Amino acid sequence: MAKTKLFPTAQQRLLPLQQRRRRLQLQLDALEQTVSARQAEKLAAYGAKLDRSLMKDAFAACDKEAYAQQILEQKLQKFDVRQNMDRRAVNHGCSKAIFTAVEAGGDWQELLKKQRQELDALEHKRSEYLAKLTAEKEAFVAKNSSADGAGYEKAKEKAQALYESRRTALETEGQQLVAKKRAKLTGQLAALDRRIAGIRSGVRSETLPEDVLLRVKGLKMYFGGLKAVDDVTFDVKKGEIFGLIGPNGAGKTTVFNCITRFYDATDGSIHFVNKEDEVVDLRQFQVHDVILQGITRTFQNVELVREISVLDNLLVACTREYQSNLLVQALGLPSLKREEEALREKARRILKFMGLESYANWLAFGLPYGILKKVEIARALMSDARLIIMDEPAAGLNDSETAELTETIRRIRDEFGVTILLVEHDMSLVMNVCDTVCAISFGKMLAIGTSRQIKENPAVQEAYLGVEGDA
Amino acid sequence: MDKYLYENYALFGTVPKEKRSLTDLARGVLANPLYHYLLFGAVMLVVGFLSATKVLPYSLQSGMAITFAYSLASVGFCLLMGYSGLASLGTGGFMGIGCYAIHFVMTEAGLPFGVALVVALSIGVVLGLIVGVVSLRIEGIYLVILTLGLSEILRNLYIAVQDSIYLSSFKLLGITIPRSASVYVVTVLLVVIMMLTHNLIVSPTGRAMLAMKNSTAAAQAMGISLMKYRLLAFVICTVYAVLSGMMLMITIRSAMATDASGFYALITSLNILAAVIIGGFRSIWGAVFGTFIMYGLQTMLLNRIPFLQENPVIITFVSGILVVLVVMFYPGGVAQLVQEVRMKLRKRRMARREEKYGKD
Repeated sequence: MAKTKLFPTAQQRLLPLQQRRRRLQLQLDALEQTVSARQAEKLAAYGAKLDRSLMKDAFAACDKEAYAQQILEQKLQKFDVRQNMDRRAVNHGCSKAIFTAVEAGGDWQELLKKQRQELDALEHKRSEYLAKLTAEKEAFVAKNSSADGAGYEKAKEKAQALYESRRTALETEGQQLVAKKRAKLTGQLAALDRRIAGIRSGVRSETLPEDVLLRVKGLKMYFGGLKAVDDVTFDVKKGEIFGLIGPNGAGKTTVFNCITRFYDATDGSIHFVNKEDEVVDLRQFQVHDVILQGITRTFQNVELVREISVLDNLLVACTREYQSNLLVQALGLPSLKREEEALREKARRILKFMGLESYANWLAFGLPYGILKKVEIARALMSDARLIIMDEPAAGLNDSETAELTETIRRIRDEFGVTILLVEHDMSLVMNVCDTVCAISFGKMLAIGTSRQIKENPAVQEAYLGVEGDA
Repeated sequence: MDKYLYENYALFGTVPKEKRSLTDLARGVLANPLYHYLLFGAVMLVVGFLSATKVLPYSLQSGMAITFAYSLASVGFCLLMGYSGLASLGTGGFMGIGCYAIHFVMTEAGLPFGVALVVALSIGVVLGLIVGVVSLRIEGIYLVILTLGLSEILRNLYIAVQDSIYLSSFKLLGITIPRSASVYVVTVLLVVIMMLTHNLIVSPTGRAMLAMKNSTAAAQAMGISLMKYRLLAFVICTVYAVLSGMMLMITIRSAMATDASGFYALITSLNILAAVIIGGFRSIWGAVFGTFIMYGLQTMLLNRIPFLQENPVIITFVSGILVVLVVMFYPGGVAQLVQEVRMKLRKRRMARREEKYGKD
């Protein structure tokens, strides 16, 4: 496990500031929308109040005949829904009885007659009910006088005028609110920017070529005397699918764990272009901060939370996105619910993209392995990562599932614009999907190039198949 | 009637509201689990009142108060074990902090309850933080042994400082609360704690804790800091245990540190563990029910049976067997049993429906 440093480095101190800055920026971007939505809510509430005040006049103005007819139809519809169930029970029971009677050679025609009688009784009940309703309707029409629209028209005009004036008032109020909040937010943003710039000025920054996202240089990881990874160097370019291959025990997973900070590398550098488009040295971060930089991973053996639903599992990846503090969460305040709803919506979108929307509310416990693997990929997509590292995504999948996975990986790269780093055993997947492949063996680099180049590389062939004539 | 009018005459786009019947309203209330706790609290307050006015047996209210006071510790332990995957046998020792805070702050110094609460909670938080930091390095059975040791240190500290403690009179907001009325205070506190815990469990924090329990590696990769959530789990557990100790002191009014079955001895930690196992690791209701089995059943019901009154060892015997049976057959505790019964009832209902109406 990576060592915990007692005092945070400048990069670590920047993290919460940058996160707050991102949130403020989001608030600022959505400011007009949120304010106008709130004003629209207020207007709707006012409209509802006006509608209620108009009810009495509206009732006086309405056509009593049509009104009573509609109520009658509603009641009849409810009655029919109930009666349909009764009818279904009669049909089901009788047809079962008739079936057994026919089998036993009994008197089935008697039973058929009985069924018809019962259905007739139901029909009779319905007509009785309809007659009762019609009587009610006639009584209602006779009691209430017919339409008188004058009072209603007058009240309506008045209400419309009120509504219009309220709308303009709310609009100006909204504009003022937006201006006020914008000034406040921009002030906060500027202050934050100053603090960030102050801290950053003390950080020595690296530069990477324009198209490189991740640069691993001279990476060494020794476990005592064992050189698990020895001097591995490669670049991952933006938007590509990069494969890291090698025979068992080659050190693929160790490289990967060094990048995601599960291991603290003995030597070497790992530079990454983070969400803020700045080059950071990943070795300065703790394991749980790596996701904030824009790197997320999936696991070889699915590591999901079994006790909660698939949708909630996706939300686990957003734990750091919440603004609500512990107190808000313990009290279950509405601000938390709003946040949750927004994230749930995003999770549903991603589940739909992965073709998993029907599993959203299932417990992760007991779902098939292939589905769980997909859920893990969906969870990785939740954090808006720039780089997704997949640890043997094809492990335990059959051929058709692997083919589907190939397609999924391509679609993820194209739709979400993320870069993908695969650590994989399954050569067919790697050769099909990867733009660049890096082969390692016993911790040392063998070759790096396109999949075709790697396939034809004699050193790789040797590592995988053994030396010719060596059998 | 309203509906028709709204549909035809609503000028400003008001969506007509269905008139809700009383049954619909009740169903809506019951669908929200938070109301279950309120309902439980209301019923228990009424039962406590009936018992205090001797409509129901008088001993009931003290049994309830003791059960609910211990339940506070169980709920915290449930959060620690069921949600964070950590274990501790320090509950008893932590409860002692609450008792001693009451004794020294209220009985000796004569200060109000609020001061005792602040003192006890701050000591509890500090202790929880210490154990939490330790839990980052030590895991599993070793952590259990460590907390056990800590608990024994605390108990010996209590014996050295003052063996017997007491609370002569208890005042809350200027109102003197006699022993028979403590059940109200404890019930209200338990309901509040249950609701807060429920909210935490379904919140991102609860999910983060579960993720941490399932796999520390996956949790860290998802941005969950082990340090933060382990500390949090231990602090919450300790604070609940401290509250539990304070409530016990208010209910029973005196305690002996040398008493091996007293409420900050090892037996309490073990009983709370057993209660959570019987009730179910991940269920607040289960924790309360398990505590009832371990503490309430005896004082409220079994002591009335003359045979058991003469041979109290049988009760211990039975509760031990119960733990063995639950662990063997229902590792999810009573909560799992209830869940299974519910599923069976649902299946039977579906089958009956199909029997009557045929397949959909």
